Amino acid sequence: MGVEALDPATLPEHDNLPGNAYAYCVRLTGPLFVQTGRMIAYYPAGGGTIRFEPLTATSLGSMVAERFSSPLYSRDWVVANGQGHVILGDRGYDINSYDLDDGNLTVRASNLLAFDAGLELKESIIPGFLTLLGTGKFLASSSGPVIFVEPPVRVDPEALVGWADCPAPAQHFDAGWMGHFLGAARGALFGTRSGEERQYDFTGAGTVLLQSSERVLEDPHVLQRLEGEVRQLGTGQLQRLGSVVQQEIAQRQQG
Amino acid sequence: MSWRLGTPRVLVVDLDGSAASAVRARTGSMVAYEGEVTFKHAGSGGGGGLRAAFKQRLTGESLPLVEVSGRGSVHFAVDAGNVLLLDLAGQVLKAESESLLCLSEGLRTDVVFSGLQGASSGQGLFTTSVTGHGRVALISMGGPPIALRVAPGTPLVVDPDAYVGALGDVRQSFVTDVSWRNLLGESSGEAFSLRFEGQGTVFIQPEERR
Repeated sequence: MGVEALDPATLPEHDNLPGNAYAYCVRLTGPLFVQTGRMIAYYPAGGGTIRFEPLTATSLGSMVAERFSSPLYSRDWVVANGQGHVILGDRGYDINSYDLDDGNLTVRASNLLAFDAGLELKESIIPGFLTLLGTGKFLASSSGPVIFVEPPVRVDPEALVGWADCPAPAQHFDAGWMGHFLGAARGALFGTRSGEERQYDFTGAGTVLLQSSERVLEDPHVLQRLEGEVRQLGTGQLQRLGSVVQQEIAQRQQG
Repeated sequence: MSWRLGTPRVLVVDLDGSAASAVRARTGSMVAYEGEVTFKHAGSGGGGGLRAAFKQRLTGESLPLVEVSGRGSVHFAVDAGNVLLLDLAGQVLKAESESLLCLSEGLRTDVVFSGLQGASSGQGLFTTSVTGHGRVALISMGGPPIALRVAPGTPLVVDPDAYVGALGDVRQSFVTDVSWRNLLGESSGEAFSLRFEGQGTVFIQPEERR
């Protein structure tokens, strides 16, 4: 009847819950970085507690400063510490565990759920993505099962979950669209994108991780990062940017 | 009384025309039916009587139900959520009203007050209790429901946005420590978690309500 009830004795140590690709159980023994809002339940072990401390106020300050090299995302992460079982979920996405062995992997920030202290986190050059370096385990989610492909490959930015070992992608624009763009007066075509002409182009040896679709979350950090870069612009450039933003807003209101 | 799962996300109830086979289901959850079946609004309070209706209005723990009776097969589903079937034999089920899909005839529903803490969303503050003998179908969003056992010495802490219900003799308390607050997304206004102790089973879903 219904579902089999689980408890600390029957929960997996480090695996998806039985028959459930959408929830994952971690047996906590050491510090674990967890993205806020992804933990759905926990059993503290042996009458103890599990502490979830903000990165700014943790007792593990120096370890955190060494491992978490991203000021932009620091408010979205906590360190879980203690003994027990922690169950994680993410919007009903599939959750998978990955092992890195002295490797590097870049993953969409919103799809990264947790990573252990053997790994080091850095911001990717591509906005909205985070890079993990070192040896350890991490958990990432995807809308539907992950699809692994090898470069050379061009992918839709929204379908991209991450990539490992290969160089960061270049942006590729569809040749037909480019020809059209170059043929017209510069800027007159602004906003005439179909959404498919921009692709990420992967080359070299490695693996690219894809998902079947993405319900795009508005990532507040992409905005924050753009705002940070605005300071490099001159007054004329800022006015130009202002008019581009106005045009984009007008376009969206029509559509 | 015959209930079955058409798929893990669709509940099929076969009605044989008797009063005992009638069910109360969440309004809007009927997706298809065959046979001679009548659907009747269960009235304010979801058939729980005037007192329940008054409490529901007061607490926002609303329970819009429709009475389904007759002879035939009725299919129920909500937003592709997974269906969890439970048999009640006198135990008390506490459930979030938005997680209730279907109740068999003879079960009583009421609104229970479970604590006075952080009223930002109301999740877990007021819950619907289901008592009696019969079957209940709950809905789990984002994937199959997760059942977690609570026993003396093994308390459980749950995110209120993932909480579906609890069965058995479990006591619920609120945890509002600073450490929990840090765990929550900035968009979520929740500042407490639910701690369960006692003897029973707690059901949660993989997706957090927004």
